Amino acid sequence: MVNVYEQITNNKIRSGVIVGLFIIFIGVIAYLITYSFNLDYSFFIIALIFSLFSSAASYFWGDKIVLTLNQARPTSRKEFFNFYTVTENLSLANQTPTPKIFVIDSPSMNAFATGRDPNHAVVCATTGLLEKLNRSELEAVIAHELSHIKNYDIRLMTIVSILIGTLSILINMAYRRSFFGGNRDDDNNNGNILAILGVILIIFAPIIAQLIQLAISRRREYFADASAVKLTRQPQSLINALKKLSLDNQKLKTASTATASLYIINPFKGNKIANMFSTHPPIEDRIKALEQML
Amino acid sequence: MIYIFFIVIILALLVLSFYNKLKRLQVQIGASVQEIGNQLKRQANLIPNLVDSVKGYMKHEKGIFEDLTNARKSIDEAIVSQDNKKIDKAQELINKSISSLKVIMESNPEIQTSGLVNNLMDELRDTADKLMYARRTLIDLSADYNSAIITIPGVWIASALGFKTEKGLETPNSSEQIKVTDEEMKTPKVNL
Repeated sequence: MVNVYEQITNNKIRSGVIVGLFIIFIGVIAYLITYSFNLDYSFFIIALIFSLFSSAASYFWGDKIVLTLNQARPTSRKEFFNFYTVTENLSLANQTPTPKIFVIDSPSMNAFATGRDPNHAVVCATTGLLEKLNRSELEAVIAHELSHIKNYDIRLMTIVSILIGTLSILINMAYRRSFFGGNRDDDNNNGNILAILGVILIIFAPIIAQLIQLAISRRREYFADASAVKLTRQPQSLINALKKLSLDNQKLKTASTATASLYIINPFKGNKIANMFSTHPPIEDRIKALEQML
Repeated sequence: MIYIFFIVIILALLVLSFYNKLKRLQVQIGASVQEIGNQLKRQANLIPNLVDSVKGYMKHEKGIFEDLTNARKSIDEAIVSQDNKKIDKAQELINKSISSLKVIMESNPEIQTSGLVNNLMDELRDTADKLMYARRTLIDLSADYNSAIITIPGVWIASALGFKTEKGLETPNSSEQIKVTDEEMKTPKVNL
């Protein structure tokens, strides 16, 4: 098994590679389109600026974008005493600064961490989770999230979420235009360009999904579980928490395929198409791994 | 010749980074000891004040309940005795306790002691957790440090550089806590 330092280096490199691939991907497509339609180079330059801008945004404002997308709000020590103090205490043991603490108003049970490094990190839990878990179980869940923070998993997962989100918006736009709105634009090249773009992106979509799975390997969750147990020294409370989470069948409305990988458990239970993109190992396997530690 | 020079430089760099790592761990261990003190000070400041405020409320609310009980008692007595004077007196007592009850209900819409006691219990658990995690940090850091100086390559150079083992959380090594008595082997019975 890799140690924490290797994991951190690994995550930093992967984050860089993902950003590089994204810029190259957008650049190549833009170049192909410019070249095949004899367009002005300004199109190419705009596309490059767009890809650079979205990469920078995913790095610097990734946490804010993710929090806004999930409709999270900051909370206080008074409102969720256990959540706040547990995060404070575990950060002490984790030797990272206390992250910002956010909640999502939803009866569904889930939690995630985001940010770019331990100094700019956020933990977020749904109110459903905070109400249904006792303090020890909450401690286990937060310890899992704090391990993601310490490992720099949050940087990689946030960047991937934002860039994949951007790509899926592009794919959706191009798809709609190429199959439903293409004929209206016969006079100019725009319709054709978007049609080509649509076909390219549709071909690439499964490959992109595969790439996310490669980038965010499922081992990451096992590793965070193990680090969480190292912090709390109580495998049983994480097992109990995971069992409670898996029994919960409330859907989290604010989650999207792009941000799903951030959560502690897959927010789309029973949805087959969404599970194709899933980066989460089955909960039963995680519980089995934890039971080995008892 | 040049190869030997490079090898020496690389070795020197390795020793240097190892030395820095151990020094950094020593500083962190020192800081974690201070953190334990910090948490103890927090606990010492917080808990007595919380206990006092809960006590204050308890006394206050206990007074109302006592007044009410007394009033009820005097009514019972008055009814039994059929004495007009006693009935008047009971009436008076009830009016008095109702008016003080009104004041309390207006200022706190609910009886607060149970909430405050819950809050006190939460704070007690939290402060115990904080101290536990502060000690845990000291234990983990000392374990990292100690294993670094007794494993290869540390074992070759640590003593030459003057690093000694850290004690971590000091616990007596030869007393009750590492022995199990017959009494402790039995499952505890809970009597409430």
